[in-house]
Amino acid sequence: MEGTDTGGNTYLIRPNYHHKFKAAVVKECIHDILREQLSGVQYDPDEVGVLSRSLADCIKDKLKDVGFDRYKLVVQVVIGEQRGEGVKMAARCFWDADTDSYAQDIFMNDSLFCVAAAFGSYFY
Amino acid sequence: MPTDKKITKEDTWKSDDLRRHIRGGGHDEDSSSSRRRDDERRHRTGESVERRHRDPEREARREREKNRERDGTGERTKPRDADKDRHQDRRKDGSRDRMGEKEERDKERSRAQDRVIKGTENVKYRNGDRDSRDKMHDREEKENRDRERVKARERDTERTRERERDALRKSDRDKEKEKNKESETGERDRERKSDRDRKRNEERAEGGRDRDREHDREKRDRRKEREYLKESEGYKDRSQKDKERKERHMDKEHSGQKEEREYREQHRKEKEEKERRHKERAQHNTGESRRHDGESREVESERVHRERKGSDREREGKRDKHRERRHREEAIPERDPTERNSAKKSSSSSDLRVHKDKTEPVKTKVEIAEAPAEDRGYDEAQDYEEDFEKMDYEEDFEDVDDSEGEDEKQTRSHEEREAREEISSQRREEIEAIQRAMDEENERVGSAQPRLSTEEDDRPKRSRDSETPQSKVSQHGRFMDFVAAKHREVSKKVASKQKKRSTELLRLIDLDYSITFSLLDLPPVNEYDMYIKNFGTTNTKQAYVQCNEDNTDRDIQTEEIEMSEKWTQHPAERNVGCGGPKLSHEASDESVTKLSIDSQRLATFLRSASQVVAVLLEEDRAEKQSLKKLRTQADTLSFSDGCLQLNTKLPFLYGRQISLVQFSQVQRQTMLSVHNPSAKPSAVRLDSKTIICIWNIWEPSRPQKILVYESEVQCCCFSPGKATLVFAGTSVGSVVLWDLREHASAHYTLRIGENDWTLRHPTFSTDAVLAASGHMSSVSSVEAVLATVAEGLRPELPLLASDEESSGLSFQLASLDGNGVLNLWVVLELPKANDAGSHTDLGLRPGGKVKLLHSSTVITTSERSSARDAKKTTLLQTLLLKFLPSDSNHFFIGTNMGLVNHGTSHGLKAPPKFYRPQVVGFRPVDVTSIDFSPFGEPIFLVGCGDGSVRLHTVLSEQPLMEWTSSTAGQPVLSVQWAQTRPTVFCVLDAASYLHIWDLLEKDFEPVITEKIDADRVTAMAVFGDPAKQNTYSGISLATQSGKIEMQYFSKRLTVPESADLEKLQIMMQEAF
Repeated sequence: MEGTDTGGNTYLIRPNYHHKFKAAVVKECIHDILREQLSGVQYDPDEVGVLSRSLADCIKDKLKDVGFDRYKLVVQVVIGEQRGEGVKMAARCFWDADTDSYAQDIFMNDSLFCVAAAFGSYFY
Repeated sequence: MPTDKKITKEDTWKSDDLRRHIRGGGHDEDSSSSRRRDDERRHRTGESVERRHRDPEREARREREKNRERDGTGERTKPRDADKDRHQDRRKDGSRDRMGEKEERDKERSRAQDRVIKGTENVKYRNGDRDSRDKMHDREEKENRDRERVKARERDTERTRERERDALRKSDRDKEKEKNKESETGERDRERKSDRDRKRNEERAEGGRDRDREHDREKRDRRKEREYLKESEGYKDRSQKDKERKERHMDKEHSGQKEEREYREQHRKEKEEKERRHKERAQHNTGESRRHDGESREVESERVHRERKGSDREREGKRDKHRERRHREEAIPERDPTERNSAKKSSSSSDLRVHKDKTEPVKTKVEIAEAPAEDRGYDEAQDYEEDFEKMDYEEDFEDVDDSEGEDEKQTRSHEEREAREEISSQRREEIEAIQRAMDEENERVGSAQPRLSTEEDDRPKRSRDSETPQSKVSQHGRFMDFVAAKHREVSKKVASKQKKRSTELLRLIDLDYSITFSLLDLPPVNEYDMYIKNFGTTNTKQAYVQCNEDNTDRDIQTEEIEMSEKWTQHPAERNVGCGGPKLSHEASDESVTKLSIDSQRLATFLRSASQVVAVLLEEDRAEKQSLKKLRTQADTLSFSDGCLQLNTKLPFLYGRQISLVQFSQVQRQTMLSVHNPSAKPSAVRLDSKTIICIWNIWEPSRPQKILVYESEVQCCCFSPGKATLVFAGTSVGSVVLWDLREHASAHYTLRIGENDWTLRHPTFSTDAVLAASGHMSSVSSVEAVLATVAEGLRPELPLLASDEESSGLSFQLASLDGNGVLNLWVVLELPKANDAGSHTDLGLRPGGKVKLLHSSTVITTSERSSARDAKKTTLLQTLLLKFLPSDSNHFFIGTNMGLVNHGTSHGLKAPPKFYRPQVVGFRPVDVTSIDFSPFGEPIFLVGCGDGSVRLHTVLSEQPLMEWTSSTAGQPVLSVQWAQTRPTVFCVLDAASYLHIWDLLEKDFEPVITEKIDADRVTAMAVFGDPAKQNTYSGISLATQSGKIEMQYFSKRLTVPESADLEKLQIMMQEAF
């Protein structure tokens, strides 16, 4: 706990551009994972809990590999059954809009819909 | 005294006693001395000694039983007692077991000897031991104080972590040491405590003696504490010092060990020589005991107290025990104090121990207050050594003690058993007493060392005052709190760091609420979609696919191809360059020239051409017929070369008198005939109307146009150019016009018989529209005024100019009524016809394009009447109006006075005001006809109602010639020049005689006078084309019955001769 702030402030207020949280890249990742893991999956109320958790972990791991340096990642995966009901999901963030961002992708088939959202919050 | 305490006390008592013997503290000597005294006494009183010697077996047996009982009770009291007690019991039992009953006596003996030996030897140790024990006390006190201080420091916020750690280390070390002490040298601890307690009790009991010692100790303590304070302030050095101290201790330990070894060796030797030394020891003991008599005496009070308690116990006691006790009391009154004292000590120590179990914190605090830290290591080492010693000694001396203190033990155990019932109250008292003593001591210490006590003693007191369990818990919790506090500290530090970080960062960045991201918006599916999704494709399958490749649409809509055969040749042969099968040979000429013109022009051409064609065709036929007729009728009319009759036998023309026949000046083949309304009714409903027929003389079979007007038409004329307009003056004073170009469909078509007749109503009428500027009486004459020929005399060519046709209508119309009012109208052609009619031009027929605008009015008669006779003017009537063909500004008006007035439209003055007959004076003679020569000569003929005919030149008032009797008195109806010969004119009189004059041949009478008998001729018109000089010139005669005959003049009347104009010029020259 000591030692990090010995030499005054070493904050990086803005992330390096290469490490910036790029929503398009993240969305692509999410999209790939969702399509890969959910194609042909039927909604099963017993399994979606595990499935959504594994999806979230998978996405998180993949995003970590992408290399968003100094980013805290939050991945939320929601899987619901498609029965014709209307669904509305929204998110609101209190963050620094310059650095923080989010990406989300939706996967849908006949029996289920899946919304995966990844929020990246920069750690200064 | 509590029995359990006693039990435990007894366990420890032997060892304590032994140690006391060994170490030989001042007060400890009491017991040994008393024992020695006992021995002495025993020696003295052989009985007792014998008994003692007899007794051992019995006593040992009893003792064993007791022990067994005690064990049982001990076991029973186990829960209450500490494990250590049990341990001691067991060990004691073990030791007892090891030792056989037979050996006991020997052992006792040897122990007794040992005791003697020890007594001598222990004298040396005693002081050192006491010192060491004092030191130990001090050390413990210091240690505890130290610990307490550490705790206090912990509680204080200003303590540093290093200190804590150090303290922790130290406390750990202490704890370990304590543990060691407790586990390995649990007995020793207890002994120490019991010693301490005993000492305290002794202090309490024999305060005076102890006070000195205590004083010393306190001084020492104070000194040490002061040192410690310094040390604690400079705690860093302390560990070093500790090390040094340890080293020192090690040395001491070594020495101690050596001593121990030596001591053991000695001990062994002594054992071997126990028998021999027995007596020596007794002597030694007496000396020593005597030395301590004073001290032991002081314990008497305590003993009394014990005795009192013992007496209490006696009541319940068993017989043998009672006896024994009494015996003991009686037998060894002096031993009591020590015994009691020791019992007391043990009890108090056990009390304390119990107390300690319960009030550990308190005791530790007491210890803290007392224990010096410095000598600790040394003490430990020494304690350790002492443990060994003790063990050895215990083993060695246990039996001796047992044998010696058998009675005591028995009584004590008895007492203990009895006292067990009173334990609660007794213990309470004891506890209170101890606490009181501790308080006193603490206060003393506090008052003596206010400096130290300020911090260190308050806390112990406080905690002591407070309830023990709580303090225990708090102490226990304090340790846990330390870890938790550490955690808390860490977390606090982390939190503060993060807070600092956040405050620094928040200055640099600004957080904001993002807009609400819509992650998913899935609208609900309506029922139909759901149904279709689920069932929409059920029961259907795809069988075929229609690509629609073979379903090409080949419908093509095209216009029908117009096909016509054409031929062409270049250069053109016979003026025909091209043609086709449909084109007739007649139209070939036109087609050549009009190939390039547009369809509208073609249509107009075809209309006119078809007319021409029709005329030609009819002309051919009519010519053949008329030639035959002419031949048949040739003899009837001498001048006639042929005759053509127009077909006036039409149903609506039947019975109508023709009042006027007139040819167009330009289109000479066009003729109009005015049919007056018939008097008798006919089948057709046009009776009351005047019908004007437009004829083409080459098409005699039927009239081209039929014009209808409501009332009687007085006069009529064509438009000056092409015969497209017809003007008429009516008897009601209106001027009307017809536009012959209007399409037939715009007019009313009447079907009569098999033919359709288009009845054209006037295009424009001044009826009731221009009444104010119109005529108030019937219009006697209308005449077109050619504007183009307004200036000077001109040849007639301009009239024939082709451009007039296209340039539109621009001429004036003059109308004259009977009252001499001459109106001039401007004929206007509107650029566009309006089928809906016009609001402003109320006289205009809907769809009509030509209208009249009133230009000016000339009063011809009033001017003249003012100039002339007023009486005559009243009678004057204007009957005819003619314009000078060469100059339209000059007009000539025939009157009823035989005069022709000459006027100008712009007020110009022309030399002759009027033309009068040769006869002077006015006669009421109507001028019936005025006709100008068509060859441009300024001469005109005037026919009068009295039958006279005059030839005037415009320049002269007088006539050139006047023929008064040519008609035999019959009024002249019409006088007209022939169109082809300038010297020939025709005169028609009312008696149907037609007179033809040829001035070249005869200038006094007509050359031909012909009587038309068949029907009365009412109108006559001469036709022919002077410019073309064709042969078809003639005269048209309209009869009363409505017939129209066309008489072709013979060649002699039509072929012009060169002398004709000369003759006229001569005549004119003659006149001037």
